[in-house]
Amino acid sequence: MPAAYPLPSDLSPATVTNTASLLRIIALALISGAAIASRLFAVINFESIIHEFDPWFNYRATKVLASQGFYEFWNWFDPTAWYPLGRVVGGTIYPGLMATSGVIYNLLHALNLPVDIRNICVLLAPGFSALTAWATYMFTKELKDESAGLLAAAFIGIVPGYISRSVAGSYDNEAIAIFLLMFTFYAWIKALKQGSAFWGTVAAVFYFYMVAAWGGYAFITNMIPLHALVLLLMGRFTGRLYVAYSSWYAIGTLSSMQVPFVGFQPIRTSEHMAALGVFGLLQIVAFAQLVRAHVSSKQFQELLFTAVISLGLIGFFGIVGLTYKGWIAPWTGRFYSLWDTGYAKKYIPIIASVSEHQPTAWPSFFMDLHFLIFLFPAGVVMCFRTLRDEHVFVIIYAVVASYFAGVMVRLMLTLTPVVCVSAAVALSSLMDTYLDPTEPNAEDDTSDSSSTHPTGTTPTTTPATPATNKKAKKNKEKEKEKESTGGVLGELVSNVASSAVAAKSAPTAEKGVFGIDTRLIVLLNSLGLLLFFVVHCTWATSNAYSSPSVVLSSTGSDGSKNLIDDFREAYHWLRQNTAEDAVVMSWWDYGYQIAGMADRPTLVDNNTWNNTHIATVGKAMASPEDIAYPILRKHDVSYVLIIFGGLIGYSGDDINKFLWMVRIAQGVWPDEIQEPNYFNRGEYRVDSEAAPAMRDSLMYKMSYYRFAELFGGQQPVDRVRGQHVPIQGPTLDYLEEAYTSENWIVRIYEVKKDDVLGRDLKIANAFNQGKKRKRTKPVSRRKAISA
Amino acid sequence: MARRWWTFPLLLVSALAPSFSLADLAFENTAIVRTIELGGSLVHVSTTYAVKALEPGQSTYQIAISKDERAKTSWLEVKVKGRTTPLELSEDESSTEHLLSVSLPKALGVNGTLNLVLETVQTHATHPFPEQATQKEPQLLKYTTDLFTSSPYTTLVQRTKIKSLAPNVISYTTPHDVDSFARDGTVTRSGGTITYGPYHDTQTDADFMAKYQQPISVHYSFDHPVLEIETLRRTAEISHWGSNLNIEDKIHLHNAGPALKGHFSRLEYQSQNYHRKQSPHILSDFALHLPPGVTNAYFYDQNGNVSTSHLRAAPSVAKGSKAIQYSVLELRPRYPVLGGWNYSYTIGFDTPLQDSVGYDAKNGVYMVGVPVMTNIAGTVVNDAEVKIILPEGATYVEFVSPFPALSSSMSTHISYLDTTGRPAVTFTYKDLTYKHTGIIYVSYQVPLSAHLKKAMSVGAAFFSLFAFAFMARRVDLKLHKK
Repeated sequence: MPAAYPLPSDLSPATVTNTASLLRIIALALISGAAIASRLFAVINFESIIHEFDPWFNYRATKVLASQGFYEFWNWFDPTAWYPLGRVVGGTIYPGLMATSGVIYNLLHALNLPVDIRNICVLLAPGFSALTAWATYMFTKELKDESAGLLAAAFIGIVPGYISRSVAGSYDNEAIAIFLLMFTFYAWIKALKQGSAFWGTVAAVFYFYMVAAWGGYAFITNMIPLHALVLLLMGRFTGRLYVAYSSWYAIGTLSSMQVPFVGFQPIRTSEHMAALGVFGLLQIVAFAQLVRAHVSSKQFQELLFTAVISLGLIGFFGIVGLTYKGWIAPWTGRFYSLWDTGYAKKYIPIIASVSEHQPTAWPSFFMDLHFLIFLFPAGVVMCFRTLRDEHVFVIIYAVVASYFAGVMVRLMLTLTPVVCVSAAVALSSLMDTYLDPTEPNAEDDTSDSSSTHPTGTTPTTTPATPATNKKAKKNKEKEKEKESTGGVLGELVSNVASSAVAAKSAPTAEKGVFGIDTRLIVLLNSLGLLLFFVVHCTWATSNAYSSPSVVLSSTGSDGSKNLIDDFREAYHWLRQNTAEDAVVMSWWDYGYQIAGMADRPTLVDNNTWNNTHIATVGKAMASPEDIAYPILRKHDVSYVLIIFGGLIGYSGDDINKFLWMVRIAQGVWPDEIQEPNYFNRGEYRVDSEAAPAMRDSLMYKMSYYRFAELFGGQQPVDRVRGQHVPIQGPTLDYLEEAYTSENWIVRIYEVKKDDVLGRDLKIANAFNQGKKRKRTKPVSRRKAISA
Repeated sequence: MARRWWTFPLLLVSALAPSFSLADLAFENTAIVRTIELGGSLVHVSTTYAVKALEPGQSTYQIAISKDERAKTSWLEVKVKGRTTPLELSEDESSTEHLLSVSLPKALGVNGTLNLVLETVQTHATHPFPEQATQKEPQLLKYTTDLFTSSPYTTLVQRTKIKSLAPNVISYTTPHDVDSFARDGTVTRSGGTITYGPYHDTQTDADFMAKYQQPISVHYSFDHPVLEIETLRRTAEISHWGSNLNIEDKIHLHNAGPALKGHFSRLEYQSQNYHRKQSPHILSDFALHLPPGVTNAYFYDQNGNVSTSHLRAAPSVAKGSKAIQYSVLELRPRYPVLGGWNYSYTIGFDTPLQDSVGYDAKNGVYMVGVPVMTNIAGTVVNDAEVKIILPEGATYVEFVSPFPALSSSMSTHISYLDTTGRPAVTFTYKDLTYKHTGIIYVSYQVPLSAHLKKAMSVGAAFFSLFAFAFMARRVDLKLHKK
């Protein structure tokens, strides 16, 4: 039996198994460590802070949960959001995330570890990413073997596509949802393989957790039925499928209906009908199987024909009829926008205005997945080679998720796990092949080898452990990369464990790899790719995904780091120096932050449930002062907060978002607000050529109020738009500047109260400045009263 | 018992004092000079009494302070002029005037003289006038006091000097009906100093006071922000395992200067900074003197770390030797604190435990010294609570406050890896000033078993975890054996 490299032969199988198991545990621990550590860039570069927008709401809700208990949280009505409507928070959120943090918080406090709730929230996502790595390991192990599992775990641990949603501080539903997704799928595969109602129940329980945690649960709700349906169509119906699916669906659906936000949706909306339909279909098929066992073949054929046709028709028309009658809600707009990328822009501008709802650009696939995106198709093809039930699942998952990832940037997240899994399968197959020390036989003794090989492998492969083991350690020391360890280690494990691989390779032993050099070339190449992957992941994580966006950082010309902390400065000012019930109006992006950091009522926030309310804010921002003022007064607005980046070049400011405000307002008041009015000959300008509607709009005035004076008589420049704004800046009559942050990013204006003499504020202002009143119509007086 | 006998006559004297205090002829004040140094939150008053005894064997001198003034006074001390040790005092609140009985170092014979100095610090004695000011306007304050220094004894000549730091005094009261006492004019001003008097032969009895006593007020400009710390919650946590003393202050700061009229304009603020002419009532930054050897200083508020602070740490010095330099923590609040604005924040720092804890090996007693507060120049702390958390298992806790606390209590604080909780001592104070930066001393004992408690509990937790894993791997709960 020729071998490419010698292997020791004096090790007992027990030692090998134990060492392998120990190494697996160590590798998984290291992978978890790497997954957590790479997400801490945000904490190290900035601080332990909640990021972005939605996490601030989650954090606020979690604080309520931690300080007031679960029932208070469950029944929480928040009068400060969506002023004056308020928001029933308990019934309009997925409470899984907050409940998780709450449980951890109470557990730690019960153990006398008084960890601050903020730190729990900040570090929840990194912690769960370690669990995700483990769940992916378990999932991939079912697909191929432990070596692929470890590779997949390492990939998902550090891949930017997942890190982008789970850095420390990114306290959002996705933080725990990906773990739940992978574990539900794992439990489903396990249930399917074993036909186990227990695993089906586990899948259902985790499905319930997922439903409680993330709106993306609909992905599972449709993936599992789709898988079952495909298996059915492939003629792979078994009792195992029946048991697994029925137990998952029954328990999962009933439990998911316990989440108030979901309620009766699982039986009343179209998104969930596939699961119900497949459930029904499986009952029919199972019944048919039962009948077939009892009646003759001929009769059965006829019976089957009529029964399937009629039942199918009844079911289909039933669902259509119920939809028509309104018992089942038709597809929602968000769902349509998945099929037609232009749909949202036309009909639901709010959805389209969110950058993460845009279609994905090609480079971001490479950015988020690096070389995994190239291995991904290979892995999917390999799934076709051993087409067990779980491989079918991965194939379907790959196809569906690829489509969705192409449609919407944020759905890249659901693609990432399957890319990691199939890339790991591909890479580990490659490594298996090239690490296997058995040399193919020469052509003359083919017949001989094919018979001797299976018996011959056992002694040669078993002692293979120490050699590869040593190599693994060496690699680990050299590169400190988990995936290389995982790869080689996994290889070792597969060598030890799977005689099946050896048996399978036996008939093809005449084909294979000759010599140690060929092996080295390929292996070093893959190692190099893995290295580049790690470098890329580290770079992408630290540069692209670790900014809290609440705190901005800039690098000075001498390399010093400057923190731009305007948001917190202004929010903190609001919190400490304004009346506690002062209503703050801002664009909805900042609603959660104002509620979280400034603790003040807001008109609209990131929970964009009421389009009209948002359009009202958009209208106020887009209208001239005298039209906006009554709107502000009617909504009890005390302060208006805007974001202005013109001074330091912060491009995410409100002037750049302004067109969306106009569009959304136009959707509700097409007569009053028209988008073209804000363009000057098709150009969006803020300089002296700006369109009149633009120049008169509240947003424009508030942004550039007294901005020109900062330049001391020189030509003022807006650094974001690169345009020269007029030296004569806008004036305000109905609002007055209340606070401007250090770099002018946040500007807060106070809405003036009615004039004490009942004059129109514009006239009162003119009077104060000593201007003569031109016309003496009593119009103004009536206006002020009606306002 | 001896002590009681000593206090009894004193009590008697003080109880009877109001009836005959105004006719007391035991002493005569040859001169009283009162110097008032105007500030923002704090006003420093020092009054010198040149005392002459008229009767032999007098050892108790009485000083009168009006009730009003006593309420404003947060700290007072009487010394013999030129000496450093303060004299013993007892207070009596029962009469119309607040009386301080000073025990003289030795009894005076007839015509024996002595110069006594009363130093007081008044808080909340000034108020902004006008109460509102725009961002550009100067900060004007008003201070009001009585014209005459009252005393139970006859005063031959008295004078009151009011000093303002800035020479810019807007106005001051000219007293009326006092020409009969004043020989060189009732009031004179030179620069920032206003002198009332000297007034000769003021009887200072009730009739005289009712007739001539009058409030005088000074309206002056003040060039520093008037700061008040409304609440200070200090927590000092001692860790023997970490050899660390952590001090954390939760502070609610209020700018008590004239409230901002209109609104804050960043543009004006920036141009003021550019021209280095910042308005006096804007607090944009301040510095704290921390002990040497400080590490891990932090400064955060409800929204997280405030990135605009600098720590210049001085190295730790040996215990007992005098620190040459302080560590300086420069803080810049998130936003400039204008008149009427608030800013609450938390600062904290670690110091090496050996710098503040001494160990008496013979008795096994630890003694820790924790400063009551870290002073911010020119501020008053309205309401302070100092909590000293001792190591877990500390026993025989005794404590002494550098000056009387409003209350002190013991409680249990539970923190990381505690099993039974740590004893904590809490003190409450009010109206603290720079004169109140004393040190609270707490002594306690920690048995060895208490030191080991933490290690044992962590060890036990890990052991049970491993034991559980060990068991779980070896127990087979399968119903159907394969």
